[in-house]
This record gives sequence, C-alpha cells and structure tokens, in this order.
Amino acid sequence: MADPNEAQEIQDMDQITSTWPRPPPFYKDFTADNLARLADLKRERAETSNPPSNPSTTDPTTNNKNQDDDALLSQRLTGLPPNLRNLQPPLPPDEGAWRIFGDPYRLVQPLPKLEEGGEIRPVVASGGLLVDGERDDKHFDRATVLKRIAKSLLLNFLELVGILGQNAMDAAEKVKDIRDLFYNFHHLINEYRPHQARESLIATMQAQLDRLRAETTAIRDGKEKVERMLEGLGSLKIDQEDAAAAAAVATTAATDKGATGRGMGELEDEMWGSLVDSAV
Amino acid sequence: MGDRLTQLQDAVDELAQQFVACIHYVHRHHNLETLGPNDEIRVLPKDAEQEVDSHPAEAFKAAQVELAQDLITKEQQIEYLISILPGLDNSERDQERNIKELEDELKLAEAQHQQAIQEKKDIMSNLDEVIRSIRRP
Repeated sequence: MADPNEAQEIQDMDQITSTWPRPPPFYKDFTADNLARLADLKRERAETSNPPSNPSTTDPTTNNKNQDDDALLSQRLTGLPPNLRNLQPPLPPDEGAWRIFGDPYRLVQPLPKLEEGGEIRPVVASGGLLVDGERDDKHFDRATVLKRIAKSLLLNFLELVGILGQNAMDAAEKVKDIRDLFYNFHHLINEYRPHQARESLIATMQAQLDRLRAETTAIRDGKEKVERMLEGLGSLKIDQEDAAAAAAVATTAATDKGATGRGMGELEDEMWGSLVDSAV
Repeated sequence: MGDRLTQLQDAVDELAQQFVACIHYVHRHHNLETLGPNDEIRVLPKDAEQEVDSHPAEAFKAAQVELAQDLITKEQQIEYLISILPGLDNSERDQERNIKELEDELKLAEAQHQQAIQEKKDIMSNLDEVIRSIRRP
C-alpha cells in the first residue's frame, strides 16, 4: 500500500512544480473509438428524433433551457454515457457573462463609445465613427482624419509649451485638449481593428491559396517527369530488345559455335548496364 | 512587432511620452533668470536636492533642437504608419465578397490538390510495377 501512495505523492509534487499545467484529465476520453461512438450516436439520434420529441432522460435544469438549442443544433446530445460526456464542448454561458477568479467576463465586448467616458469630446461626428456605419459610409476617410489628429497633436503641444512659458496656470485647458485628441486617436484605431482582422484573414487565405496551388503544380510537374521517364524507359526497352535480338543473331552467326547460353548472358548484362545508365 | 494598428498605437503612446519628456527636460534643466533688479538667484547648498539642474546654454539649446526633431520624426512615423494601414481602400462589403471568393477558390484548389496527389500515387504505383518487372529472369 505504501508504493501507490508514494507514487501519488510524487505525481502531486510534479503537478505543483511543473512549469506548465497538465492537460485536463478528460483528454484521455478522446480516443478514436469514443469519437466514432459519438458520431454513431449523433447519427442515430438525428434519425430517431427528427420529429422534435426529445425523450432523453437528463437532469431537467439543463434540458429545459437547452431544448431549443438542441432542436437547433441537433449535433448536441444529452444523456450521453459518462465517458462520452466530455467529447462535446459545453454550451456558452446563458447570460453571456461569467466570472473567472472574481473578474467578470462577457461574450460580447462592444467597444465603449467615446462619449461614455464622460468628459472626452469626440473629434469626428459619432455617426461617421461607428463600425457598423462603415457599411454605408464607405467614403469616411479614416486615414485623413488620423493624419489630421496627429498634426493637431503636434500643434497643440506647441501651444501648450507656449502657454507654459507665458502662464503655467492656464495650461490645464490645453492639456485636456491634448488628452482628448489622444483618446480620439486611440478610439479611431480600435474601431479599425475588426477591419484589420478581416484584412489579415484575407491575406492569410490568399497565402494559403498560393501555397496550395504551388504545391499542386509541383506535384503535377513531378508526376509528368516520372511519366516521361517511364515512357522513355518503355521505348528504350524495345530498342534494347531489338538490339539484343539483332546482336544475338550476329553473335551466333559470327561465333558459329552455338554458345548461345553464354552469349545471351553477356547480352543481358549489357542490357542491364545500359538500362541502369539511362535510368540514372 | 505587433500588427500595424498596434504599432500605430504604440507610436502614438510614444509621442505622448515624448511630450512629457520634452516638458520634463525643459522644466528640469533650464537656466535661472532674474526678473527684476532686486531679484537674486538663491544658491542652494551642494548636497541639498537641486530644484533646477541647469545645463549650459549651448547644450540646452542643442537638446531642445534634438527633442523637437524627435517629435517631428515621430509624427512622421505615425503618418507613415497611417498610410500603410491594411485595407484602407476596402469597405466591409468588399472584404466580405473577397473572403467568399477566396473560400471558393480555396475549395477548388484543395480539390485539385487532392486530385494531383491521387495522380501522383497512381504514377508511383505504376513506376513501382515497372521497377519490379525489371529483373533478371
């Protein structure tokens, strides 16, 4: 009884001291057999309960709430045997909010509006700023606005230095201006992030497409090369056979000794040698 | 190095830091002047904390010029970063259409790829056969 305990302790120690956390214990459930069984079950369930009578026996709390979801995503099964339960991911939280280590998180994270901060004055009219409005407002020239703000920042700093030189008491207003400009700049950039994400996606897909095409042509090239070689080999073989026949006739005629067996052997060696040469 | 937007944001933050640094430098290293005939510059004892650590006039001037130049350089960097932001000419709808097209093309290319692999396999088995058939009787 001492040995397993010790082993357990050592394992616990490992868990505490290892740099990275261990994978969650249910990774062992993801076997090929289990996955196949889950697929089978899904198919079965889809066939049997296509009319949405869901007689699955599970705890009512999840079942009631998720019944609509189940009807929608028929992929999600309830009442699975315990060893298959971990194979399908848990549902996202119902309220779209959850807590980890006491901090609240939300599924949807809308970009807070500039005006919500209270005292920040937006530089651009908020209609043109909205990300959703971008669809209609294609000509909203973000780059120009950003460049203008950048120039304004420099100008405002110059003014701030001037004011500080004259009367430092009046500087607070200017500092506020500069702060607002910075906030506006960052806000405009953050609004642009979804756009950039889509742009990155396009770039990645394009790269993937190029790579795939290059690979395909490379494979085709290789295939054609081998085909040509095979064709060459075929014609060469016939030539050799002709030559061999001719040579065989010649040798038998020339030697007149009828040592055909030996002659054939030599010829074969010759043939083999030339074949290997041509193949190389 | 992050993406361009992050680079731009970092650059803007750096500009803000440079603003602060400029003011701090001028505030800390300017010289002292008398404003009227009755003023006099009080000399603090050496070991006490100096309120102002005056730099020589030329050094101060040079530093000011350098700081100003740095500000301009940073601003130009920002403008450059703005001008190379990805997809400035594309609207959201363009992007969506683009993505859809790429998706279709990818599927097509993937099918062609699989086909090519299959052809390659066939030819390989062909070659194998030929190689095996070449043997001494």
